[in-house]
Amino acid sequence: MFQVIFKSMLSTSIRDKITLFYSLAFPLMLMIGLGYYFNEDYQQLNIVTGIAAISTIFWGMQGIAFQVYVQRNKGVYKLLKLTPMPLFSFISIMVLARTFIGVIINVIVWLVGVFAFSIDVTFSAFLNTFLLMIAGTLCFTSIGFVISNLARNEAQINMFSNLIQLPMIFMSEAFYSLKNVPEWVVFIGKMLPFEHYVKALRGLILESHNTLLSGYSTLIIYLVLALCLSIITFKWDNDQERKKLKRSRLAS
Amino acid sequence: MLIQAKNLRKSYNKRQIIKGINFEIHSNEILAVIGPNGAGKSTTLEMVIGLRKADVGEINYWVNNYKEKIGIQLQSFPFFVGLNSYENLMLFASFYKRKLTEKEVNEVLKMCGLYHLRKTDASKLSGGQQKRLAIAIALIHNPELIFLDEPTAALDPRARQEIHELIKHLHQQGKTVVFTSHDMAEVEKLATRIIMIDQGKIIAQGEPEKLCKTHNVLNLEELYLQLTKKGGN
Repeated sequence: MFQVIFKSMLSTSIRDKITLFYSLAFPLMLMIGLGYYFNEDYQQLNIVTGIAAISTIFWGMQGIAFQVYVQRNKGVYKLLKLTPMPLFSFISIMVLARTFIGVIINVIVWLVGVFAFSIDVTFSAFLNTFLLMIAGTLCFTSIGFVISNLARNEAQINMFSNLIQLPMIFMSEAFYSLKNVPEWVVFIGKMLPFEHYVKALRGLILESHNTLLSGYSTLIIYLVLALCLSIITFKWDNDQERKKLKRSRLAS
Repeated sequence: MLIQAKNLRKSYNKRQIIKGINFEIHSNEILAVIGPNGAGKSTTLEMVIGLRKADVGEINYWVNNYKEKIGIQLQSFPFFVGLNSYENLMLFASFYKRKLTEKEVNEVLKMCGLYHLRKTDASKLSGGQQKRLAIAIALIHNPELIFLDEPTAALDPRARQEIHELIKHLHQQGKTVVFTSHDMAEVEKLATRIIMIDQGKIIAQGEPEKLCKTHNVLNLEELYLQLTKKGGN
């Protein structure tokens, strides 16, 4: 059972061309472009880790949000409720499959950057980065789940994703220093998981492990919070269908 | 007897939609649930299949693990985007804890006239083909009881005919089929028994021919118009 569902979820995720573009092709193009324009070593390091983190957030958040929304819209969860398959098991396998592909994509983006800009990385740093990317993908995937529960249509998925992603990216030190920005911007940035994720990714390459603890702890806190929220806000079918049903009942 | 529903009641926003419904589903019958829009057909069936809970009343099933023995085709097309017909069937079979061989999946595809489309992305199938795939999903775990919610709605005559043949074939195999429809000719052609619901109550149930005789009408359509008119619609 696990094998069939996992394999199917891998197939459906890998055939999602739009998310693949935003999490693989777009970050690679952006990284190569920026990396050749800003050619200082520290800038290229920032670019590689920043873009790898963006790839994680795009795959994790928007990818799952759209996938869950479409499945709900098509009545998949409604039908699933009528089978002996527990929803929690199905969602866990789906998240595992997406995390599996997401981490491979992240590693590809990261490795291309490391080789393209000749960044020195130890094998232990590579392994630790791999583990951190698993935590990052799981965290942002669970946030994406909450978005799919809150959004009433596809436009709202984009709106909610941007509302969460853009402050995370722009209030972090992914690509630039926050030394001269107002205190409140730094404060908000530090409250969000992306800043800690980027710093932990960077810290692993620089072999300064003091950012790793805050990276993991922030990702895990947000993961747990988002999982709780996604359970509370979960919907078996979409709002529009419910409203249509309600209208037809009231009309009768 | 497979299912016995006793005194089912359901309200939405303090308005009673189902007003004490009693009925049974017998083994190896083709039962049609008919009635005007908003009469309470879907709500009744949704309570029976376990999608909604009745406020009052009880439903007794012939087995404890009834979810494994019931196949359901909803009006929506619950397919996984990016998966073809074959992959969708394999996936849904796994939800029923069944690991099917390629031959078994192909047999269901052939029965539903979809074998030649087994490698086609489910979302790229036509409306009629998607409807047949939804029925194939309902049949993939070899259920004893099959619920089909408006299986021929919005289909062309040929596609309707194919689904009629499929329902007859399932009945010949010993399956019990429960379906909803607004097409009285279709109901007359297929159903061995009908339940007519109006304003949240059962207004008639029995074999179509006997009901027509009792009410002195020529066909089911006349009976429908007569009884639902009496019901105030």
